[in-house]
Amino acid sequence: MRTTIPIIVAFLAGTLLIVSFFFHPETIWIGDAKEVILQWMTIVGGFALVLGVVSIVRVNARAVQRKSEGWFYKLMTVISVFAMAIPAMMPVTKESVGGSIFYSIFPDSWMGYLGTGSNSFYDWLFNYVDAPMMETMFAMLAFYIASAAYRAFRARNAEATLLLFTATLVMLWRVPMGEAFLRLFSDNLPGYINTYVMGGFNVAVQRGIIIGAALGAASMSLRIILGIERTYMGK
Amino acid sequence: MDIWEKLNTIDRRWIYLLMFLSILFPTIFVMKFPIELTPEAEQLYNAVEELPDSSVVMLTFDYYASALAETEPMSIAALRHMWRKDMKIITLSNIPLGGPTIAERVTREIAKEFDKVYGVDFVNLGYKANYVAVMHGLASSIESIFPTDYTGTPLSELPLMEHVKSYDDMKFIYCVADNATVDYWISIVNAQYDIPVGSGVTAVMAPKMYSFLEAGQLTGLLGGMKGAAEYEKMVGALGTATIGMDAQSMAHLLIIFLVIVGNVGFFMNRRKAKDAKE
Amino acid sequence: MESFSFLEHFQIWLKAYLILSLFSFMYKDNKFYKLSEHVFAGLSAGYYVGLIWQTVIIQQLVNPMFDKGEWWLIFPGLLGLLMFARMIPKWSWISRTSLAFYMGSTAGIYLIQTLHGFILPQVLSTMVSLDPSNGFAATLLALIIVIGVISTLIYFYFSKEHTGFMGVTARVGIWFIMISFGAHFGYTVMGRISLLIGRVQFLVYDWGESIRQIF
Repeated sequence: MRTTIPIIVAFLAGTLLIVSFFFHPETIWIGDAKEVILQWMTIVGGFALVLGVVSIVRVNARAVQRKSEGWFYKLMTVISVFAMAIPAMMPVTKESVGGSIFYSIFPDSWMGYLGTGSNSFYDWLFNYVDAPMMETMFAMLAFYIASAAYRAFRARNAEATLLLFTATLVMLWRVPMGEAFLRLFSDNLPGYINTYVMGGFNVAVQRGIIIGAALGAASMSLRIILGIERTYMGK
Repeated sequence: MDIWEKLNTIDRRWIYLLMFLSILFPTIFVMKFPIELTPEAEQLYNAVEELPDSSVVMLTFDYYASALAETEPMSIAALRHMWRKDMKIITLSNIPLGGPTIAERVTREIAKEFDKVYGVDFVNLGYKANYVAVMHGLASSIESIFPTDYTGTPLSELPLMEHVKSYDDMKFIYCVADNATVDYWISIVNAQYDIPVGSGVTAVMAPKMYSFLEAGQLTGLLGGMKGAAEYEKMVGALGTATIGMDAQSMAHLLIIFLVIVGNVGFFMNRRKAKDAKE
Repeated sequence: MESFSFLEHFQIWLKAYLILSLFSFMYKDNKFYKLSEHVFAGLSAGYYVGLIWQTVIIQQLVNPMFDKGEWWLIFPGLLGLLMFARMIPKWSWISRTSLAFYMGSTAGIYLIQTLHGFILPQVLSTMVSLDPSNGFAATLLALIIVIGVISTLIYFYFSKEHTGFMGVTARVGIWFIMISFGAHFGYTVMGRISLLIGRVQFLVYDWGESIRQIF
């Protein structure tokens, strides 16, 4: 019972979406059923994302409670979650039941600053605090890649040499100064790199990987629909 | 200890500093080295250019803030190109972290340049979870997936959405992405609903996209900041990508230099060790 | 350039502080970095909650149910809520139905999408003419693609030992893969550097302008 019902649900939902592919959505009831499932998927998917955040808060709150190492930083994480989430969750109009109660207590002038729209506190926190940090976190990888280029990228054998040679060619081709340098050898060289390296060797390998990965994903999908793959259900 | 051994044990922070300086100087002293166009970028530009004026197009903001330096100039250049042709733009994001907020900020900023009105000339649908379901759902009814726009206004109250009910009412999907959502725009929306998809992606994703481009599943491609600079050049509006190309050049040259020095040091030390053994 | 308002100056300096506090890690780990890092993690998690609350729970669930009378949306709502049963080990089995719905329906979409959207078009565009009358360049490109796709697929096929013909083809495959990975590496370097350029552009142009205006 605890496993059978979920397997039936997965089978029915998956099969309906597969079958719907073969019918025109407007001529058969299956089109409506598909629309309903898709709508439900977006709703259930939303809850799944929130579940992840609840886990983060729980783990960090526990560490703060126990005053384990670095508890102050973890407290800051928890405070930041609420600072971002709570103003965003407040009602943005008086038209809803919750909104009319909320704005009978708090001034109407707060309306523009709550929710997720432009000029909201949420919007401001994202644009001026969260986004700059996210950009910087990833920008720091440029330093690591420079260090790795110096310390780790060694032409130890023929394959590694080929990789380094192609990488150098592509790095030159993708920037104006490098492209001008390549043109010193032949005016057609940048074009050849685009056509044969990117459009030839690279396309062939990427295609092989895409086909291989797609076959794997298709077989995994089939296993889930048929109830053979059940690990996602946990113990 | 000879020079090669010293170089081998150099503190990595010197390399970090070199990298920072290689970007800092060209950012201060911009030379504007000429930018050459690639056929794939021209293909994307031409695909938009050939659409009838006032067409309805979808522009996706499928990127996190982490890739803004590469993707935002693409979105800005695309908006300028489309609004120059008086197109109606529907934006959405399949990214739950930043995408909808970025779409809101960027579209409203560029709309001011062209006197475009929200709800009439553009609409931001925002975000809904599970992008494969979203992409399928938009084919039958936009309203079933997005009953309101990003800020909660019902779609029925937005004049633009009176005539736009599904993909059937759109001419082109211009997907700017830093992750796999573009694969799904291609393999679901282009493959099953037959609407052309063009894309601007981060450099990390670009090599994979060539395979879709070659197969005709993708109509044009911008790869990384260089791709964005190419689009800026075609649109004729200088932006941060074009300005960044000098720094990009210098940093690439530094990386190549570091690879060469690192390898020469490696072989010199290996030869020395071999000689000592003998 | 127009002069910045007080708020604009504040925003620019706040961003500059955050950028520099994170960059300070490149020198060594420190308290400023740690604080920014943890605030960043929290704000990002909070962003998800705010977004999902407004765009999914309010716009897609609560408003249609109460304003339009679409009562049947209670079912996906319940399925979503059942997911939280995972937080209680004793009751975690209840979340299985929601997960099964999510996984099953996603698998249904994926199965068609991978076969129809990836495999068929990609295989089809590999079935190219190798006729030399198409011209040297076109034939060469077609040969590269055909040989490359087959040898790459064989390299990643581990159910049969890579000896004999399989071994030789897999060997060719690794050469193709090295070229493609080299191209990928070149692009990756480009991408990472672009992100740093974005940060430096902010520090030089925006923060620099703010400093100039203040001092």
